[in-house]
Amino acid sequence: MIFYRTISVILVLHCVALAGAEAQQTDSSTVADSLLLLQLQRSMQQAAAIPTIQQAPAAPRSTLSTNPDLSAIGDFRSSYVSVGKRKIDLYLNQLEFQVSSVVDPYARADFMFSYGKDLNTGELAPGLEIATLTSTSLPYQLQLALGKFKPAFGKINILHPHAFSFVDFPKLTENYFSPEGMFMEGASVSWLVPNPYDFFQELSLEIGRIESNASLVRGENGQLSYVGHLKNFFDLTQNSTLELGFSGANGPNQTGFSSKMGGVDLTYKWKPVQYNVLQSFTWQSELLFSNVRLDETTAAKTHGVYSLAEYQFAQRWFVGARYDYSQYPDDVGRRDVAGTVLFRFQPTEFQILALEYQYTDRNYDRNSQGVIFRIIFGIGTHAAHQY
Amino acid sequence: MMNKRATLFLFLPVVCLLLSSSALAQLKVVTTLTDLQSITSLIGGDKVDVFAIATGYQNPHFVDPKPSYILKLSRADVFVTVGLDLEIGWVPPLLNSARNSKIQKGGDGYVDASVNIPLLQVPTSASRGQGDIHVFGNPHYWLDPQNGKIIAKNIFDALVRVDPDRRSFYEANLKKFNETIDAKTREWTEKLRPYAGTKVIAYHNEWPYFEQRFGLQIVDFLEPKPGIPPTPSQLLKVINEMKRDHIKIIIISPYFTTESADMVARNAGGKVVTIATSVGANEKIKTYYDLFEYNISQLIEALR
Repeated sequence: MIFYRTISVILVLHCVALAGAEAQQTDSSTVADSLLLLQLQRSMQQAAAIPTIQQAPAAPRSTLSTNPDLSAIGDFRSSYVSVGKRKIDLYLNQLEFQVSSVVDPYARADFMFSYGKDLNTGELAPGLEIATLTSTSLPYQLQLALGKFKPAFGKINILHPHAFSFVDFPKLTENYFSPEGMFMEGASVSWLVPNPYDFFQELSLEIGRIESNASLVRGENGQLSYVGHLKNFFDLTQNSTLELGFSGANGPNQTGFSSKMGGVDLTYKWKPVQYNVLQSFTWQSELLFSNVRLDETTAAKTHGVYSLAEYQFAQRWFVGARYDYSQYPDDVGRRDVAGTVLFRFQPTEFQILALEYQYTDRNYDRNSQGVIFRIIFGIGTHAAHQY
Repeated sequence: MMNKRATLFLFLPVVCLLLSSSALAQLKVVTTLTDLQSITSLIGGDKVDVFAIATGYQNPHFVDPKPSYILKLSRADVFVTVGLDLEIGWVPPLLNSARNSKIQKGGDGYVDASVNIPLLQVPTSASRGQGDIHVFGNPHYWLDPQNGKIIAKNIFDALVRVDPDRRSFYEANLKKFNETIDAKTREWTEKLRPYAGTKVIAYHNEWPYFEQRFGLQIVDFLEPKPGIPPTPSQLLKVINEMKRDHIKIIIISPYFTTESADMVARNAGGKVVTIATSVGANEKIKTYYDLFEYNISQLIEALR
């Protein structure tokens, strides 16, 4: 009984104490409550002001994978040439397959296989154009590429036909190397040269065995070929750039002696940054000198040059013109002079239609004229081309 | 003995100078877009030197990979990209030639700003027949200021990875940025609240994040498919839509010409409003905050 009384007293005292404390709190905390209320109101307003947007469940980035980039590019042509047996022709000129990927944190790999028209037989034949392992993490601004590649001689040679604005490569490329340029198996080292004026300067040195062409051949008895290129690039304004390059090559030729070549390339580009898909202008020229030793006492000193201009006057439309003069590396007496006009329509970057007219003056054969229509079409993920 | 001491005294200031200069050295950051440059500057303050490759009035899908950018990337400590394949046409050739392992994908200095962004318009199937679509989702996510906080966090993480000693400095700036962007988002949302649900036409499909945040309703585009220039049939369709639904506004970015938009506006009785997709689109837009201030003021003026 005493126990229950004691408990009741404690409870009553506790209730009195709580009521007193509450009354005291009510008196002294009016301001604090107002602030709390204000804060609550504010936070409710804030919650209302930045509405929580109901997001759809994030879709998995399902295309992420370690698969390499794969692409296929077709090059279909239709042509009329005023001389030769087949004046009118329709043909698939080339099909290219490219596979590219990062190998590991230190390198990337690129492979390009072609299925192209054999110039001798006219039949399609498979070929390997590019197979390179390129470093991405060498110190001292160096980059090393090993495998088969297009050496950096001049501005055009590094391009594949589908990446060149004109349907055919310039005459100097065709006469001094091959219709698709020069290929090499070996090593390429390039270095970003530090300079006090802080412009882009890249020195490339390449050594290896050249795939035989008009000037250089795949050397026997371990003879190697050497190619060097110095690229200088300047931003003239925000909209215009200038590139000046110097090239040199040395290697064995068909006579068993050596060929020496030198080149200068100059490229001016204008493209207004704000409307860069609507207008552009390019002027590009190359000069090539060749010194081919034919025997112990005789050397053929020849040269070739081209100059081209291309103007983009609308988002999808381009016009261009090119002048070519080219001798032949082993015959001082032969030369081609050609004038070319180009119209290009590009519905998207994956489909390019071009119509080209060319007149060629030859001092060793009949002059000719020709019209070629080309359509380039690509699918898959193709690495962007260099500037 | 004296010579050794003298040498020591001579070298000591040099060593101190070298140490202090390395401590004061700014991180070199290269970003693809000016918006990422602005956010990096707000987080990194005077501890970072930031260069943006594209200008604010340039179409970010089409930037020429000039060799001069390779030079910048070769010296960068951090590289920040929008990702989601927006820059697929120009970033890979630049990174491949940069000779800088720090900023390659997987390196400490590589920042894909899209990480953790709640993506919109992620396609369930992808074909180039649909035009220039982005297989990972619409990449113009920086146009929602709340996504700016996620971008800032991604940049902050990289700055801390590369420069852990200044963590508290970057952290304070990140906090300040988040608070500012929250406050401003509230302000901007309030300003546009009266116009919520207003139907508008856009030139290109680059506004879904902006549209979602601020309650506009983009009902059609002048491009028939992303990246395909306007066709007469598409323009006619849009004119009819505008007349039928009383749509008065066509929004366009600074890098598209206004001819087709003007023509549609003339025929449909609407008006063309050029708003910015990036910082630096015009002189008034100097920061990420200015980007929204400008766009919202332009829209309100047009919608009034």
